Amino acid sequence: MGYLIGIPLMALLAALQSTLMTQIHFLDGRPDLVLLAVVGWSLTGRSEEAMAFGLAGGLLLDLYSGLPLGFSAILLILIAYLISFAQGRFWESHILLPLGVMLIASGLYHAGGIGGVLLIGHPINFLAAATRVALPSTFLNLVLILPVAQLAAGISEAMASPQVTV
Amino acid sequence: VKRPQPRASLAFALILTAIGLMILNVAGFLQPVESLALRPLGAIQGWVSLRYAAVRDLLGSPNDITSLRGQNAELEAQVAQLQQQIVSLQEQVAEARILAALVNYAREQPDSSYLASKVIGRDVSPFLRSIWIGNGSDSGIERNMPVVTEQGLVGRVVEVFATASRIQLVTDPAAAVNVRLQTSRADGVLAAQLNGELSVDLIDQNKTVTPGELVLTSGLGGGFPADIPIGKVISVQKRDFAVFQQAVIQPSVDYANLEIVLVITNFRPIPVTTPSP
Repeated sequence: MGYLIGIPLMALLAALQSTLMTQIHFLDGRPDLVLLAVVGWSLTGRSEEAMAFGLAGGLLLDLYSGLPLGFSAILLILIAYLISFAQGRFWESHILLPLGVMLIASGLYHAGGIGGVLLIGHPINFLAAATRVALPSTFLNLVLILPVAQLAAGISEAMASPQVTV
Repeated sequence: VKRPQPRASLAFALILTAIGLMILNVAGFLQPVESLALRPLGAIQGWVSLRYAAVRDLLGSPNDITSLRGQNAELEAQVAQLQQQIVSLQEQVAEARILAALVNYAREQPDSSYLASKVIGRDVSPFLRSIWIGNGSDSGIERNMPVVTEQGLVGRVVEVFATASRIQLVTDPAAAVNVRLQTSRADGVLAAQLNGELSVDLIDQNKTVTPGELVLTSGLGGGFPADIPIGKVISVQKRDFAVFQQAVIQPSVDYANLEIVLVITNFRPIPVTTPSP
């Protein structure tokens, strides 16, 4: 069920990232919709689905980008996998703890993005990349993760019975 | 015996799939698949882009919205319908204006052949400055073709698929363009910052560069046709101890609001090969 909703949603989010999100920016940073969706879904405890969304969303993002195909997918799968390690351990105890998860995820995602740009031999000014892109994007992601996490939790509950880990 | 966690196996399998796809892509085997995938994705991108433009234009016309508030419910529905038509027509008029300007520009440059193409999206990576246009190899677009508007140089085609192409903007830090300053006849190389700021580097210290001078493509290196405007000089940085002087320029093209661009289809860039040692 999650896959039926998730994969088309990833296609829509990737298209929005390439069109609408290029107009909504703070300095040169933009909210990373696919990252928000993957992190939000990981926080519901559906880590296997989140990893699959990471693969689909990452591949779609790479199709709209000059980065090598599969690069964003690897980053998003890794982020979903890392979040799954702490699944059910601490963030349900405090509503603000998703912020910490998003901070790390966003940092990893943008560090990886810079790595991808270097991988294709593209020149990059690290200071400008960090201050004008990575930090503002992380700020926007932090602002959006709480409503996204709430929304994801609501959708997860509305869907079929939650997965049980034995 | 400790069995591997299914979650770790799934992550490993998915990452392996992504790496496999990346290798196949680097080797060029996925080009047809990407072209095929970009057909519906390009359509989605175009659809979202069109709807976004319509909503943006609707929100940007407060007078029309104010007048709608005064109507009763029945009239409101009718007016809303008419409003939708107006927005659509305004979009078409705006598009026609852009196309008319582009046609005038194309008429003034009879040596070049142009293909007008709609901008359907931008690179999702904030570290790369490129746009997507809704035409590709099916329309005769090839890699390295220059892209312009009536205002000046936009960039060059760096990736071509069947129905879409990626254009590297001149504001991308990797886009080195050889330029000439119109009045001083000084040559230089266009350098872009991550924030989109443009400057001309490697200008001879002996040349006198003045603010307001027009910056044009020089045609050196064979990457772009000569004499396409890029912008004008707004300030000059000349230091006695430096080998070259630098000029900060104001671009003539509004790269943030590109809607339709022209691809120069009959220009053949000269391939530059690195000499073997």
